[in-house]
Amino acid sequence: MATRRILYVTAEDHYLYRADGKDLELEGKFSGDDLGITLFREHLLSRPGGLFSVVADVSGEDFHEEQIPFLRGGDRDAVVQRRLAQRYRDTRLTTAISLGEAPSGERRNERLLLASFTSTQHLSPWLDALEEASVRLAGVYSVPLLAPALVARLGVKSGRALVVTATRAGLRQCYIDQGKLRFARLERTIDMVPQALAMFVRSETQRLAQYLLTLRALPREGAPVQVLVVAPPGQREVFEQTLSSDARLVFHTIDYAHALRQVKLRKVPEVTRAEALFLQLAATHPPREQFASRQDRRRYTVWQLQRGIVAAGVAGFVGCALYGGGKWLEVMDLRDRAATQQREARVAAEQYERITAAFPVTQTTSENLKVAVVEFRRIAERSPSPDRALLHLSQVLARFPQMEIDGINWSVGRAAERLAQRSAGSASPAARPEAAAGDLAVIVEVSGRVNATQRTDYRGITAQVETFATALASSGYQLLERKLPFDITSEGTLTGDIGATDTGEAPRFTIVFARSLP
Amino acid sequence: MTLTREELKKLALPLLIATVLIAAGAGIITSAGEGLHTAQARFAVVQAERRQNAERLARIAEEEREVSQKLDVYKQLKSLNILGEERRLEWADAINRIRVQRELLDVRYRVERQKLLTSAAGKPANVDFFASTMKVDLQLLHEEDLLRFLADLRSSGNAYYSVKRCVITRTGQPVGGATMTPRLSAQCDIDLITIVDRAAKG
Repeated sequence: MATRRILYVTAEDHYLYRADGKDLELEGKFSGDDLGITLFREHLLSRPGGLFSVVADVSGEDFHEEQIPFLRGGDRDAVVQRRLAQRYRDTRLTTAISLGEAPSGERRNERLLLASFTSTQHLSPWLDALEEASVRLAGVYSVPLLAPALVARLGVKSGRALVVTATRAGLRQCYIDQGKLRFARLERTIDMVPQALAMFVRSETQRLAQYLLTLRALPREGAPVQVLVVAPPGQREVFEQTLSSDARLVFHTIDYAHALRQVKLRKVPEVTRAEALFLQLAATHPPREQFASRQDRRRYTVWQLQRGIVAAGVAGFVGCALYGGGKWLEVMDLRDRAATQQREARVAAEQYERITAAFPVTQTTSENLKVAVVEFRRIAERSPSPDRALLHLSQVLARFPQMEIDGINWSVGRAAERLAQRSAGSASPAARPEAAAGDLAVIVEVSGRVNATQRTDYRGITAQVETFATALASSGYQLLERKLPFDITSEGTLTGDIGATDTGEAPRFTIVFARSLP
Repeated sequence: MTLTREELKKLALPLLIATVLIAAGAGIITSAGEGLHTAQARFAVVQAERRQNAERLARIAEEEREVSQKLDVYKQLKSLNILGEERRLEWADAINRIRVQRELLDVRYRVERQKLLTSAAGKPANVDFFASTMKVDLQLLHEEDLLRFLADLRSSGNAYYSVKRCVITRTGQPVGGATMTPRLSAQCDIDLITIVDRAAKG
């Protein structure tokens, strides 16, 4: 938390405090005359810059309740500034406290408490000195503006309450309604014995209550008003004996030390009175409402902007770091899981190696052994011997003694390719069996002649070749192609030589059959 | 509130700090994202490896049986010299021996250059299958001579003999006289296949 200096202004003397979290330290005391201002300027020169607040504890503070139309933003600001200008001749130190929406009326209105000092002459030179010293002025507060915060700290969050404190300026009485300041007054005091001071507190409080009743700020009927009296050190018992409650006012005497604890103030200068409570609140929990103009607070606003920008950067960095940290946690989790998986994989591999080491001794690796044998078997399955096909042909020939074979072409090839080569339209669809059109096959092409049949017996010769071909297309073999002695297909050319001399040459044929390999 | 040039200058350093901080944060996120991506990829790899090893381990009994079965074949390939480098002299010897034993009339052959038939992926090295095509011309008295020749060739070892084509035709020569006249002629293409196992010891 940044160290803040607070100038406490009274009608006679001004005191400069340094607030550092829980400690309040008196840094200087200046008289209210020109000499005091000069000394204050010199003091500021010796400590340039810094963060300042001004707390005024003077009499002559004006409070006036107004109503304005219910507005927001710039319109509201303009109306408020106009009302302040109408109410106060010098608007340098003015403020407007919102009291909420007006309870009734034809149109929505907002209740405002306009506040200022009847004379700003005793404050202006001090503010000018701060401006000249280029300090950052956080705000100008009066003790009444800080009173609602003190009441809340002392435990009264709602309802009507009077808070009575004895400050260096005198007896300060503030009237708080539902957490909002409504009225305050300062009664100057002289040094009194505790009994007399307690009596004075009692009489002044009753006077103020009567005044507020007259103003109708306090209702005549209803719950009694809580009166919080901060007793000076060591005077609580005397105050409690003197301040007896009645139907209208209920007194609560609060020990000064207890009040200090409530505002989290640990160390205060001995000469300081109840104003320490307000100074601490001005340093740690300043209210939004204050008297200084925007121009007076300009350096402070820029300083706030600087801090805000850096804070936004820090927040962004922290957000990113948190998000990135989450991701990294995920990464670490994944790495752990990967390490576990890797360990398990290694264990499985070692176990595998251990078991395979007990396998029969081979001259190669298990993998190569398998690959070599599998591939060899595949090749062997596709490498048939001609024996089977020739045996099949021989068995069929035994049933057809009139057939004479001229040549046999045994090969391993693709039946589909062979069909494709001859698919220029010569073969009929019936001559293309589906099974023979697959992958590798044993293909046998047999060419021969038909004996013991009249050459002119076309039908007989054709029928014999067809029967022979059908016989070959058995026992797992399928007919791929046949070329008859006489081309009787519509695509071919049919020739004849009827009546001519018989040459004695037997009609030739060609038959191709195949067996698919696994 | 309108800021003056002087006030804007005062905001420059905080803006720079905020920018650096946010850039650093973005860097952290980017770095974390990349780290996560890498970790996910790595995890996927080791997960697949673990699964593969576990499955292989689960199949070990089956694999043992498979190895035992295949080992017999492998040993047979080794004993027949199918596994190993080519032995062309042994092939020539075998053909001569068959011709003499089977009293074949005329045998002409020509073995082409060796070529790679296929290469099977093994571990740690491949298993290569080579083929040398042999073209054989035979003069036969009977078709049985061809089948016997092929059977003898197969049993002679030193390669796996894969017959690709055989054409048998009549010679058309008249039979008679004291000399034996071939009635058939056969031309065959035979692949002589040998296997080279790069991981084999000895």
